[in-house]
Amino acid sequence: MKRQTKLTSTGQHQLHAAEQQTQEKSALEFATAEELLRYDADHTTVPASIARRLQESAATLPRPARPWWRRLFKK
Amino acid sequence: MNGPVAEREGLDEAQAGLAPSEFADLYTAHSRAIYYLALRFLGDPQKAEDATHDVFLKAFRKMDQFRGDASWRTWLYRIAINHCRNLQQSWHARHLFTNADEAVWENAEAKADSPLRVLETKELGERIQKALDSLPEEYRLLLLLVADEEMSYEEVGSLTDQSPDAVRGKLHRARKAFAVLFKKSS
Repeated sequence: MKRQTKLTSTGQHQLHAAEQQTQEKSALEFATAEELLRYDADHTTVPASIARRLQESAATLPRPARPWWRRLFKK
Repeated sequence: MNGPVAEREGLDEAQAGLAPSEFADLYTAHSRAIYYLALRFLGDPQKAEDATHDVFLKAFRKMDQFRGDASWRTWLYRIAINHCRNLQQSWHARHLFTNADEAVWENAEAKADSPLRVLETKELGERIQKALDSLPEEYRLLLLLVADEEMSYEEVGSLTDQSPDAVRGKLHRARKAFAVLFKKSS
């Protein structure tokens, strides 16, 4: 009985160690807030619907004026 | 994106501030940065989506006013910041910040340079949002802009109406405040 308890205890210890290892593997560590935000930004997906809506909205607008620098440098 | 505006019929370089393909390139290059700023500044994906759409539409309409004094990204950020601030004001969602709050952060245990750990990537966004929402607007904006590697302290200073030195000084306090709030959010 005592031996079984010891095995169970060892098994639990191993399981705990394995869980800890898994947690350590999936843990992310960032040195600064900016680094964390940069990671977050890189993993943020821009909704495709914005591009679609933009296309529809832009189609209803009058054509934008030609900028001064294009008027100056280009025919 | 292969050009939401690029596919617009009848718009060519001679007529528009940018050629359609150039505006599409502008969107491709900067939409993530603008969407992310709006998302974390406003704290709501739907509002961020609407804001990003409005910012690029405004940019499209005002392209002729771009004089090249700043980079395209800085120009777009300026439109985005003004737009987000206007939205917040109209929602009466402005965050009030007092010196007492700052004292709490200054005396808190977390250090600005201590590592920030997180176990699950999926939790990350929620925790970041929670921490940013509790920050005063000035700190939130500063961190979001400085986190963009394309932005220099000079450009961040220009967008937030302060000198690069002031940006550096406030950034330290912003980092510390964020670290305290981020740790509390776990």
